[in-house]
Amino acid sequence: MVVLRGGMCPGLDEDLVRGLRAVDIKTVEDLVSSDIEELAQKCSVSYKALFAIRRVLLAQHTAFPVSGADLYEELLSSTAILSTGNPSLDKVLDSGLYTGEITELSGGPGSGKSQVCFGVAVHIAYHLKQSVIFIDTTGGLTARRLLQMLQAETNNTEEQMEALQRIHIFRLFDVFSLLDCLYGLRSGRLQQASVGGGSVKAVILDSVSAVISPLLGGKQNDGMSLMIQVAGVLKTMAKDFNVAALVTNHVTRSGSGELQPGLGVSWSHIPRTRILLERVEEATAVSHSSLRSATLIKSSRQGGTTRLLRIHSQIQLGDTLWAWLSSSGSASVCVAEAAS
Amino acid sequence: MQRPVYSLDLSPGLRLKLVRAGFRFTADLLDLQPAQLNAEAGLSQQEALEVLQSVRSERGGDEGGSLTALELLQKEEEDLRNIVTFCSQLDSILGGGLPVGKTTEICGAPGVGKTQLCLQLAVDVQVPQCFGGVGGQVIYIDTEGGFMLQRVVDIAAAAVRHCSLLVEDDEQRVAMETFTMETILSNMFLVRCHDYVELLAELHLLPDFLSEHPSVRLLVIDSVAFPFRRHFDELSQRTRLLNGLAQQLITMATSREIAVVITNQMTTQLRGSQSQLVPALGENWGHAPTTRLLLYWAGPQRLAAIFKSAGHMDSTVQYQITSEGFRDADQSEQPQRKRPRTHSIQSAASQRDSSC
Repeated sequence: MVVLRGGMCPGLDEDLVRGLRAVDIKTVEDLVSSDIEELAQKCSVSYKALFAIRRVLLAQHTAFPVSGADLYEELLSSTAILSTGNPSLDKVLDSGLYTGEITELSGGPGSGKSQVCFGVAVHIAYHLKQSVIFIDTTGGLTARRLLQMLQAETNNTEEQMEALQRIHIFRLFDVFSLLDCLYGLRSGRLQQASVGGGSVKAVILDSVSAVISPLLGGKQNDGMSLMIQVAGVLKTMAKDFNVAALVTNHVTRSGSGELQPGLGVSWSHIPRTRILLERVEEATAVSHSSLRSATLIKSSRQGGTTRLLRIHSQIQLGDTLWAWLSSSGSASVCVAEAAS
Repeated sequence: MQRPVYSLDLSPGLRLKLVRAGFRFTADLLDLQPAQLNAEAGLSQQEALEVLQSVRSERGGDEGGSLTALELLQKEEEDLRNIVTFCSQLDSILGGGLPVGKTTEICGAPGVGKTQLCLQLAVDVQVPQCFGGVGGQVIYIDTEGGFMLQRVVDIAAAAVRHCSLLVEDDEQRVAMETFTMETILSNMFLVRCHDYVELLAELHLLPDFLSEHPSVRLLVIDSVAFPFRRHFDELSQRTRLLNGLAQQLITMATSREIAVVITNQMTTQLRGSQSQLVPALGENWGHAPTTRLLLYWAGPQRLAAIFKSAGHMDSTVQYQITSEGFRDADQSEQPQRKRPRTHSIQSAASQRDSSC
């Protein structure tokens, strides 16, 4: 449903558009699906001219097939796998965050989602020397925490400041400003952000559920449409600009009391890879432990798409986030058919 | 790169009208005049203007508040100071006090000291800047009817006394002249909300109030749980309202640079045959506040724990509630009046050294 306008393609001028309007042809769809011969008679224009216009319009509005070989070539040349800076988590993610894909982290309050996001941002900005876009919708981001993480990596103040400059922060708290921002990024601001050091390699959205869940529930159905809008623009942005998208999501409990990512079934198709983060409850611990477990609950890469894998790995969120457990069997990997 | 009309911030009815008339992308609308839109989509003049305005503002593309982490760090260091709690141990685990520009939730069983901490903060936020405070006003939304003026007077008197002992230079002497009981009370705006509708309405009106009173630095809601634990047949409705409320609070905290403090009640959760006390309003609500503080009893001791925060370590400290307010716990178990005072003097003094 694209409205016909004068100058859209050669031969389609204002007069013709007006003439077509008169016979109730308003959109490209109408024109393409109508009988050209009849139309030529009605509007008294040449059949040839209308036919040419139709061909151009079809060409403009179609999708082109690409051969698998070409795609593979492109994949090899443009896809990057960004390490999260955390060996155990990388293992769960099949070596890291893939550009062009959406990866989701879900977990309850205090399960470490934001900490992992900060860690990824710092790792990409400092070790990979690339830019990162960080969209904060929960107000949880503090630059002090980022600095703290950088200080654990290096003592060189200049390097710390350089890394901080590569992290671009948007603080948005409702879905429409999020959409404004994402469309803005997609229509070119993403490249602008990369001026002054490294291209943008990752877009981190912490959290997607914070802006969408106020719209869901009750008798509202507008929220669904907006959720899919967000998903759509994230996906195309990730693909077109070859950036890794990392989003966080909250969790809900299913009827049997099992944790599952929030935002329902429609959203579950959006991220390519989903990770569930949980606190590890230690029976003996007096205070809360800093140990977290990461479970892979959806992946289209590891073990094929039909089988769901559960790969556990324990990660520790300490003062210097990436202080991992000793390597002796900390990343216990177990594979089992998912219950569902 | 085309943006669908469906993603614009318009009412659903208006969006539907546009899509029905064949407008799919914002690019289709860009060159139109209101009159054309009126004729083609049957919109009223006002609706047409609204549509075009939102299309063009999107195109105009202000930078959307993008800033680098370095800029944010500078802002945090310069503009956003913390509100000291007068409990030095709690201050230290919070990194110098309650963070301004963030939302903090205080959970705890009845009588453990949630309201006391709120009242203490409502006084503390007014401590003049030369004493290491933020010198701001406070809005106190009371939904439980737990606000006790007599208690505020006690706490305020203790705070004034405390600061008057710290006076060293002329600037502080001048500041002390205006830091009195009367000004403390007159800088406190109390709102009493009886149910969730009143609370939501109040929050919608607050941005205007904040524009009129730019020096407000603290918003207290005591408690958010009470109005939302009753009168709800449909839980999904409650979840939606609460999520919306959370985003509103975060927006306010960030854009106006105020600290938002909300209190929450506790509820019993059954896990198998065991039960445990968890914060009310469901697990989903837990994502809403940036920092969650849990106040609880361990035998005769009162403990405060950070159990969710994006910027702090999980840690636990002791505190006590004296007639003067929320204070450090005594090292010896006996209640002594003098000890906590000296502690908080030290805490405030060290705060001042770092900020002045």
